[in-house]
Amino acid sequence: MSRSPQALLERRYARLGLLLIAPTIVVFCAVIVYPLLAAIYLSLFQLYTPTLEGSFVGISNYRDLLARGEFWISLRNTLVWTVGTLSLQIVLGIGMALMLHQAVWFRSLARSLILFPYFVSTVVAVLVWRWLFNDLYGILNHMLIGSGVVDMPVDYLGSMPNAMISMILVGAWKYFPFVVIAVLARLQTIPDALYEAARIDGAGPIARFFDVTLPQLRDVLVVIILLRAIWDFKEFDLIFLLTGGGPVISTQTLPLLVYKEAFALNQMGMAAAYAVVMMAIMLVFMIVYIRQTREKEAS
Amino acid sequence: MAGVTFSRVRKEFAGFLAVEGLDLTIEEGEFVSLLGPSGCGKTTTLRMLAGLEFPTSGEIRIGDRLVNDVPPGQRDIAMVFQSYALYPHMTVGRNMEYPLKKRGLPKAERKAKVAKAADMLQLTELLDRKPSQLSGGQQQRVALGRALVRDPQVFLLDEPLSNLDAKLRGYMRAELVELHARLGRTMVYVTHDQLEAMTMSNRIAIMLAGDLQQFAPPQEVYRRPANRFVASFIGTPSMNLIDGQLSRSDAGWHFTSPGLTLPVPALRDSAKAGDACLGVRPEHVHLGHGDLQAKVQLVEQTGHENIVVLDVAGGNRLTGRTPSSQVPQMSEAINYRIDSDQVHVFGPGDTGARLNADG
Amino acid sequence: MMRRLLFNLMVWSAVLIVAFPLFWMVVTSLKPQLELWARPPAFLPIEPTVEHYVTLLQDTNFLVYFRNSIFLSTATTLVVIGVATLGAYSLVRFTYRGRESLAMLVLFTYLLPSVVLILPLYLMMVKLGLANTLFSLVLAYTTFALPYALWLLRSFMAGIPEDLESAALVDGASRMGAFRDVIFPQLLPGIISTALFTFILSWNEYLFALVLVNSDASRPLTTGVMNMLISSFNIEWSLLMAASVMMSVPLIIAFAFLQKYLTRGFGAGAVKG
Repeated sequence: MSRSPQALLERRYARLGLLLIAPTIVVFCAVIVYPLLAAIYLSLFQLYTPTLEGSFVGISNYRDLLARGEFWISLRNTLVWTVGTLSLQIVLGIGMALMLHQAVWFRSLARSLILFPYFVSTVVAVLVWRWLFNDLYGILNHMLIGSGVVDMPVDYLGSMPNAMISMILVGAWKYFPFVVIAVLARLQTIPDALYEAARIDGAGPIARFFDVTLPQLRDVLVVIILLRAIWDFKEFDLIFLLTGGGPVISTQTLPLLVYKEAFALNQMGMAAAYAVVMMAIMLVFMIVYIRQTREKEAS
Repeated sequence: MAGVTFSRVRKEFAGFLAVEGLDLTIEEGEFVSLLGPSGCGKTTTLRMLAGLEFPTSGEIRIGDRLVNDVPPGQRDIAMVFQSYALYPHMTVGRNMEYPLKKRGLPKAERKAKVAKAADMLQLTELLDRKPSQLSGGQQQRVALGRALVRDPQVFLLDEPLSNLDAKLRGYMRAELVELHARLGRTMVYVTHDQLEAMTMSNRIAIMLAGDLQQFAPPQEVYRRPANRFVASFIGTPSMNLIDGQLSRSDAGWHFTSPGLTLPVPALRDSAKAGDACLGVRPEHVHLGHGDLQAKVQLVEQTGHENIVVLDVAGGNRLTGRTPSSQVPQMSEAINYRIDSDQVHVFGPGDTGARLNADG
Repeated sequence: MMRRLLFNLMVWSAVLIVAFPLFWMVVTSLKPQLELWARPPAFLPIEPTVEHYVTLLQDTNFLVYFRNSIFLSTATTLVVIGVATLGAYSLVRFTYRGRESLAMLVLFTYLLPSVVLILPLYLMMVKLGLANTLFSLVLAYTTFALPYALWLLRSFMAGIPEDLESAALVDGASRMGAFRDVIFPQLLPGIISTALFTFILSWNEYLFALVLVNSDASRPLTTGVMNMLISSFNIEWSLLMAASVMMSVPLIIAFAFLQKYLTRGFGAGAVKG
């Protein structure tokens, strides 16, 4: 593009724009871009965390990691967790949004109560759930035994597959409000005329959901699923605090593996390699999401 | 000393040509409309004049001053936006005061000017309200008031009436014309509504796809449209445009199209036989007598007249007008006549130039 | 009428099931120690007590953690909102080369997993001698809070009509003058909700605090309270539930007073992507 020498004002504005974004760029470079590149660099070293001494080993960390069963188990756990909790979040989220979209008594109170798990700290959520799950004094076991569903206390977190299921349930409880709010916001923008038209065409409530509501929700659901998939995939706090990856490594996901390698096993280089591979897997989702967003902005 | 001059102004947005080599001189005190369909470059032209967009090349002058590098606030202009762009968090009074404050006028003077403008536009009662508490028409007047208080050299108006209902729009048209007469300032008015342009302007600049098509007084644009596009854009119902062939005999030029053969007035020397387009205003199609015949396709009764669409042979249609007393029957065969002195002949293509010798 | 009643009952049972853990948290925090071991557990405390809250405030480090968290979240929010507001203005209302790529980079970093960044950040803080300081956490928190705030503010900024700024420029304001006089007042609700979200994100953060800070003096609530669980000889659930309630108090306040802003921010962030 040829710039005429006279677009002085335009150039002055562009300079001001760059000046305003400069602090952002500085912070980004210092705490995001540099660490990101450093992580890739680190992954080529064998590095002992407490002393930070080590040697260059090239790609051998990557070769090791792909050969290790633990990596594959963690990847599988990550996928099971992500798919499991995400599906539950979506189903519960849409269901709850549809209910709260109707006229309900004290609707705004209901909405606040639903939202609360999402905003509460993961630490709080996990503490509460561990208390609910408590094998001897937890209310869940009391209720299950009391109602005769089981006759022995259930070990929710210490055995498989209970630990994975509990984790998925707590994850769904904590994060489904995100889906509720996003879907609710979209539901409010569906014109009533569409439902009236469907009703005139003789569609019952179920047909109206599949023929009117769901197609209208499609776009927002794609965005929600991508976002939540990315966030669930990288979830650390909830899993680390709830099961710590246990029993043994049955619920250990990739972020936990990175943490363990770096700060429990003190293998910083290996941990970086895990982190890079994990990011490479996530990159697929991230690129799809970014492309989706860019298309939406262009239109 | 403040007309406006565009010299060879070009504007490109990332690979898209918005305005192409525009040359336009607006005289001091003139009311000029920039008219065209959306995307024709009229708003871009106005925004370049305001200093909100920057020409890729070319020069813009307000009076004698080259303003390409002058920030909008120092161009001595005021602008009324289509959306009104009233500052929502300020009262009406503070909205109108804002440009004066930015010019560093003392408070007493500011209050006096705001009061005067408010009085002129009957806004005095509303000075303490917020814009959201006003009706569309009131907001429009506040936007106008904010432009007025500055007493600028040039007023820029970007489709200011398009968000008003039809009745208010008609009222505001008259109001603006009166305001222009009273202030005597240069006004540049962007619109896609040919009626506004025709009724208010001293001259109209008609644009299409970044190109200036014609720049002339309203009656001139109506009577002698520079090309086929201008002809089709000006006038309601719009001019009949019929594609056909132009041929020359000893008796002069003739136009032929299925179901229609017509002598046409003197053409320019550059006119050539071959593909051409005939343009006839509906008022020059006379129904009820004459030696041409067609079938009535549609009759629209507007009250004071009827708009009649005729089905001429070969898929050609002609629109004509009849007084309200003369209502043709649908499907009836009717005689008609075309004022052949009043027809226009255009070259081929969407912007084929007018070939009549009087242009 | 019957259908309406049934529907409401159904919705409210679902809502109450979701809210039950939080209800149970409050109930447990008010029960005397003995009642905790009662079988079957009482639904409401028989003799409600605030003794656990008193213990929490007097005999534990809770107040230190709380102060740390307040400082940490406030500092992060102020820094991030300041930088992001200017950045969002630049990304939305200025044209320069690389602007689009920069916007996409912001989105990319918004999705980036913290565990990737934490290893080099840990090394960086150790080298700079910042490990175990609240300042290191403020720096680390910008890694997720800044992209988040930028992305949110960008969509709020895009919602402000461009004509308003144009009008201010024509009226004689400079670009920064127009920002101060016109854009900022319009953006304020967006800034408030972004600030609230940033505060909550920082308040709830766990991983960075776990890795970067290892001394009670500068531990925030998340790792501090978790530490109380791990380090105590026998777990005092009432105390932990009291701590959980106290930890959620700022959220409850934010909720009660600013629900309007919260949902607005939620919509902008979630739905517009």
